Amino acid sequence: MDFDKIESKEQLDQLAKEFRYIITDIMCRAGGGHIGGSLSLVEIIITLYFRVMNVKPDNPRWADRDRFILSKGHAGPTLYTALAYRGYFPKDVLLTLNANGTELPSHVDQVITPGIDQTAGSLGQGLSCANGIALACKLQNKTNHVFCIVGDGESQEGQIWEAGMFAAQHKLDNLVVITDYNKMQIDAEVEKIVSLEPVVDKWRAFGWEVFEMDGHDWDDIHATINKAMAVKDKPAMIVAHTVKAKGNVCYENRIECHFISIPDEDERNRVIGGVCALDDDEPFHFNWTEGK
Amino acid sequence: MTLHEKELRAVYTDTLIELMTTNSKVVCLEADLGKSSGTVPRVWDAFPDRFFDVGVAEANMIGISAGLANEGMVPFCATFSPFATRRAYDQITISIAYAENPVKIVGTAPGVTTAKNGATHMCFQDLAIMRAMPNMRVYCPADVYELRSMVRYMAASQKPEYMQLIREVHAPLFDDSYEFDPHQARILDEGADVTLVTTGLTTQFARKAVGSLKQEGIQAEHIHYPSVKPFDVQTLLDSVKKTNAVVTAENQNVIGGLGGAVCEVLAENYPAKVKRLGSQDRFGEVGDVPYLSDTLGFSAPKIADACREMVQAK
Ligand SMILES: Cc1ncc(C[n+]2csc(CCOP(=O)(O)OP(=O)(O)O)c2C)c(N)n1
Repeated sequence: MDFDKIESKEQLDQLAKEFRYIITDIMCRAGGGHIGGSLSLVEIIITLYFRVMNVKPDNPRWADRDRFILSKGHAGPTLYTALAYRGYFPKDVLLTLNANGTELPSHVDQVITPGIDQTAGSLGQGLSCANGIALACKLQNKTNHVFCIVGDGESQEGQIWEAGMFAAQHKLDNLVVITDYNKMQIDAEVEKIVSLEPVVDKWRAFGWEVFEMDGHDWDDIHATINKAMAVKDKPAMIVAHTVKAKGNVCYENRIECHFISIPDEDERNRVIGGVCALDDDEPFHFNWTEGK
Repeated sequence: MTLHEKELRAVYTDTLIELMTTNSKVVCLEADLGKSSGTVPRVWDAFPDRFFDVGVAEANMIGISAGLANEGMVPFCATFSPFATRRAYDQITISIAYAENPVKIVGTAPGVTTAKNGATHMCFQDLAIMRAMPNMRVYCPADVYELRSMVRYMAASQKPEYMQLIREVHAPLFDDSYEFDPHQARILDEGADVTLVTTGLTTQFARKAVGSLKQEGIQAEHIHYPSVKPFDVQTLLDSVKKTNAVVTAENQNVIGGLGGAVCEVLAENYPAKVKRLGSQDRFGEVGDVPYLSDTLGFSAPKIADACREMVQAK
């Protein structure tokens, strides 16, 4: 497949299916992982890396590339899968997720993983870093874009709103931020902990151009990101309505999906079965030896 | 289930429930890691009016706790150790320590025990930075009995206090009769060859090291410090006057923590050679606890090696 030109829905659906299988499989092999917040981002990250962002996998630090900051750094496994499929590193490196000595830690790390633009994992910090990166790009007259994904739970951090004010003040219109609004955090639903509502009005009041989209609908995601990239004189926020652990029936939209522990083979089979079960005609299995 | 079969976080939760039952001033705060500390769902269910999950907002949790303590409540607030300390360091410094508001801060999953969460969550400096803060006390329990007694002590004390909380099951070192005293270190083994100073997780590792050293005829005097600040000076000096050789081991950077405290005391009172084990000024990484503690150099075999070398160099 020539990934720069993926356009057909069938191709995208196939890619999403493979991503969900791989993300679940590598977490199960690693004994556990942040499955919920990784699976909610599959369509959005695929759209960014296969339809939107201008990057050169053979030159990860290419100066004029679009930048991506995964502020909710615990969704690393979805980003790693996108980077592997784009050729930043071989697919079988994904199997080393969280292994002793790995280049693929649970939270994204710019020092050890090719293609990661900003280290994150301590929530609430990435949007400020994205501001700095967007500012630097503007100061150097670049015409690229800076994309950043924040979590809804993460948005309870005050620093997110400090960054929100700064980006509007400095008219960072090269910045496109997506809130993964899956409505859950760890201890409970966001509504039960500290509500973000009315989140669209809040960002608007902070001086941002705000969009909403269905974070699992290919056309909606693509069109909304394109609109957000065209905004002038303001930063753009996209509130993406998503489903936590989307696509794994064992965990989809269940509060215990944030982090799973896989103690044994039985549990692994059950959880892997959760992604295969969605595929009604033929169960999908990724063949790691042929797949690299 | 007997006490020492339980995870430490379950004992933290049990003790908090016991205290909240008898003292209506005790309140529990979390920052979206209550499942990890053990208080969600049990404390939330048992005391919905005195349980507050502030969300992913650690600095806010510290400020709220300061205000609660200012009005005479007894707030216990918990999150992962990096977010409980360095994330909100200035808020802790000003609103709690400087203002003398007796908040009880609990830092869970300290150092390598955060394991697969990796470097961003692997805090190796909480003992050092909390120790460097005036008015703050710094504790590190090593088993369930000590933890339970410490939490009870903290609920009654009028001081700002920070406690590391390992979540997992640990071998028992003490028994029901244990009473925590921050001014009293615990001698777990007597010996005249080398003084071995540990706290929290490394106390557990050191038990194994001391056992294997004994078989080789090396008698280590093993001292566990449940409180890194205040620091029991006398117990250390008495031991080092016998051994003249010291090994410290901690689930931390070697700069400024337990090893730092030992060196300060000895340099001012009784200079002796000290080998500090811990992270040698490097960040963590993802991995399991045996791998991490061994690569960083404070596993049981590495502790035994250091003691052996110290004795041989005498
Ligand atoms: C500063 C900080 N506090 C706490 C955590 C632990 N933590 C990791 S993920 C998470 C919940 C985040 O919720 P959300 O942003 O909604 O992510 P999602 O539900 O999409 O996975 C928490 C509290 C952290 N990584 N960083």
